[in-house]
Amino acid sequence: MNGLLMLENALQFVGAFVAFSIAIVSYKGVKQTRSSSLLRLAAAFVFLGAGFMLEGLAGFSSVDLLPGFEVSLTTLLISGLFLETAGYFFLAFSHMLDVVFDKKMGVMLALFPLMAINQSSLAVVLTSLSFYFILYGVVETLFAYSKNRNPNTLLIASGLALLAGGWWISLVSPDGLLLNIVQLLMKEVGLVTLFIPVLMFSFTKKGGWDGPV
Amino acid sequence: MAQYRTQTKIIADILATARDMNTAGDGVGITTLLRKGNVSYARMTKLIADLVGNGLLVEMNIEKNSKYRISDKGLSFLQAYGQFEDFAQSFGLRL
Repeated sequence: MNGLLMLENALQFVGAFVAFSIAIVSYKGVKQTRSSSLLRLAAAFVFLGAGFMLEGLAGFSSVDLLPGFEVSLTTLLISGLFLETAGYFFLAFSHMLDVVFDKKMGVMLALFPLMAINQSSLAVVLTSLSFYFILYGVVETLFAYSKNRNPNTLLIASGLALLAGGWWISLVSPDGLLLNIVQLLMKEVGLVTLFIPVLMFSFTKKGGWDGPV
Repeated sequence: MAQYRTQTKIIADILATARDMNTAGDGVGITTLLRKGNVSYARMTKLIADLVGNGLLVEMNIEKNSKYRISDKGLSFLQAYGQFEDFAQSFGLRL
């Protein structure tokens, strides 16, 4: 079980790396195009990256790898979760703005996770909110795919869906070795999928804007 | 259904028009930019003033008429726009 915890904590740092990479590419885009969409994307992934890092630190201190952090374990964990929730909120918020400006039929999810109502713990509330925001991001990204038919959009939607699935498992069944492994695998594959557009952006040299359609 | 265009997309459209319609090399008039850019006259004149001020468009006065051509900085903007549009689209967003 300890090994699994270590893997989960290491995964938080992989998540931080992926999130900060996306944030850096988005920020480069903001500097070159002054796009507000990219600014929100950069903000979302800075929050997510910082959140993953704090949760990873909290995790390592809980298995005595970072003894100096023991005192502030709860603070670290809650701060990490808060930052992560803020990141997912910004991701969902970008889609919400698209819905508002486009006056399209946005798919607003009304199913608030029941776990948030039944338990009063702040960590559970934040986790539930994160789950809700990712789920909204999944639905809106799939909606965008139905319009643009860009395979990368489908990849991102799948990655977010896997992350949402991982969150869901951790919400409904926090214990259980097999489910923990499944949850970890889902999060791992989800994160790697999110990294694909960054890799494609780094390795693909594209000509430029073709002009008004 | 007409789709909402962001300010960045409108700017990219104007710059691409200035690049593609300048076949004779003597610039593009505001009428052409209006026709292709699909924005009001008042908004277009403000946008053009901003683009010229930021060095993305170059204003040329030919026979007392103002014409515009894209600058090197404008071409760089279009290049970046093309790359980041794909990136944003991956996340289901528009630039």
